[in-house]
Amino acid sequence: MQRQNYLNWALYVIVMALAMWWLGAGKPMKMQGLFIASGLAVGSLYALGGIGMVVLYRATGVLNFSSGAAGAAGAMSAWQLVEWGIWPPIAWLACIIVALAITLFYGRLIAPRLAWREPVVKAVATLGFALIILGLVSFLWIDDPRSLTLPTDKIGVKFLGLRVTVTRLIVLGASILLVLFIWLFLGRTKVGLQMRSLANDRDLSALIGIPILRVETIAWGIAGVIAGFTGLMFADLIRLEATVITFMVIPSIAAAICGRLDNLGLVLIGGLSMGVIENMLTLSPTLKGVRPIAPFVIAALVLMWSQRHTRLTFGER
Amino acid sequence: MKTNFFHITPSGWAGIFFSLFTILLLPSLAGQLWLSVFISTGCFMLAAGGVAFMYSRLGMVSLAQVGLMGVGGWVMLRLNHAYGLPFEVNLIASGLITMAFGWALALPALRMRGLYLALVTLMAAGGLEIMFATYQFPNGGDGFWGVKTGSAAAFNRPALAQSAESYLRYVAVIVFLGFMIIEAHRRRAPGRAWALIRRSEAAAMAAGVNVTLYKTWAFGIAGLLAGIAGGLLAGSLGLLDDGTFRASESVMIFALAVVGGAQYWYGALIAATLFRILPALLNNWGVDADLSFVIFGAGLLHAVITAPDGIAGQIRGLVISLVARNQKSENT
Repeated sequence: MQRQNYLNWALYVIVMALAMWWLGAGKPMKMQGLFIASGLAVGSLYALGGIGMVVLYRATGVLNFSSGAAGAAGAMSAWQLVEWGIWPPIAWLACIIVALAITLFYGRLIAPRLAWREPVVKAVATLGFALIILGLVSFLWIDDPRSLTLPTDKIGVKFLGLRVTVTRLIVLGASILLVLFIWLFLGRTKVGLQMRSLANDRDLSALIGIPILRVETIAWGIAGVIAGFTGLMFADLIRLEATVITFMVIPSIAAAICGRLDNLGLVLIGGLSMGVIENMLTLSPTLKGVRPIAPFVIAALVLMWSQRHTRLTFGER
Repeated sequence: MKTNFFHITPSGWAGIFFSLFTILLLPSLAGQLWLSVFISTGCFMLAAGGVAFMYSRLGMVSLAQVGLMGVGGWVMLRLNHAYGLPFEVNLIASGLITMAFGWALALPALRMRGLYLALVTLMAAGGLEIMFATYQFPNGGDGFWGVKTGSAAAFNRPALAQSAESYLRYVAVIVFLGFMIIEAHRRRAPGRAWALIRRSEAAAMAAGVNVTLYKTWAFGIAGLLAGIAGGLLAGSLGLLDDGTFRASESVMIFALAVVGGAQYWYGALIAATLFRILPALLNNWGVDADLSFVIFGAGLLHAVITAPDGIAGQIRGLVISLVARNQKSENT
């Protein structure tokens, strides 16, 4: 089984590399590098969203569709604070805090009421919450072109002859470090152990005295911080628009599916490769217009590949 | 089984009377503006019926219904501008093609549990949104995508229904037939298989039910209804706009189907009414239409947590208690 998994990983990486090579064939090296660099940044955003989703799903069984909306609310608040002339770092911090507060609100007050329902019902409930936040945010900040810039946008680093902004390096670094950090956290700490046990079996964990509410609150907290950070970065790198940031969960889901809602390393690889392929499709004249579809196609292929021998999956129980 | 196949429940009678009302009276009562509103409400009611039926009978969540409507509408417009076939032929084709399209999309997820179907269909809705925004809807131009700038070419409405009034009747009849299809399936073997699957997929499989087949079947019906709904919507104005088929709309129609009450036909009616009419009403009252998101979201949370039968279930409870009270007072 383990060997089969590694083979699948290797196959995925090879297929992605081939796709990139095919898309980039015949184009100057510099151009390719440019697209890969910006693709990695976008892919990191997908991966970040996916990681937050998977961490929370594993610990609590809730697939959170509202993380994008929480990020949007945070990014909009940050923009507002900057408009009011508040020292920008406080605004960025506020973005994370707002997203954290929104996510914790749901995690503490609403999620427990649905604790014993099926996963799909829990996911649908977060959809309702996402609509509420999106409605409020679009009500408070009417549609208007806005932008949020970080000072790191202006600082560039020369890397193999390419100029890469520090913001892009930050998102890429953050997504990699986050996977490492969560891996260590789950593997080495007591709370991490408790989270893994919750992921395995919620009922049994409750029986042996694991403080479920506390552990779940920590998981919601982690998810909230990730949502806030992703929202901030998305607003800076792509667009500051509530609907767009809210529905960023869709490609994040694609990344999460690549990791089968379980494996953070695969989520990272999946997210990054989706971002790169999506960006490199710009080079193809026929597929240029539909490039945002790339993550979904990749995720669908991964799903089909991963269950090609199964007749029916019953989930954990 | 034959004897109860044609049995009409009280809610069925209500449905028949309501259909008669929309077919016979509503078109002559409504003004021009309201006619088009009612037509699109009818289309979305059919689509909402599809998702609601899948959710209530099988616990399957599809978040791509409006996207699939867009596919149906696209096929309808494409066929209309390419060949001079009658409307009905185009309508059936758009239903069937959308059904096949839905199957192709959901294929990776139909063998898996509900959560994955929700995820895959949400991705599909996102993908379709991009496709529609990129390629637009055919309006009589050349080539496969058939888009031209300037005014659109003429659209052939059904021979039976050239005016807006008769088109509303036409839509009402088809919506009625759509709900009949669902009900007929529910009363035969597929319905029994679905009921078993809803309880437990493992038990259904052990009992010899082909779980994948019947889930695929249900998804096919929902896709068919979405395709027909999209085709009918295209017939309302003769053109479509990609803004109608965003992923957020698909999410919204699912949310509203649950809020309205997924078990009952009038739940779909409530859902479509809220979907088409509430934002317009809020606008008229000078309230920001974005607040309808808040209302819908809160309604969804409320429905999921405390009122699984939605508004329709509450209406039903009210009617039943009223009838019971009447009978009591008659007896005394």
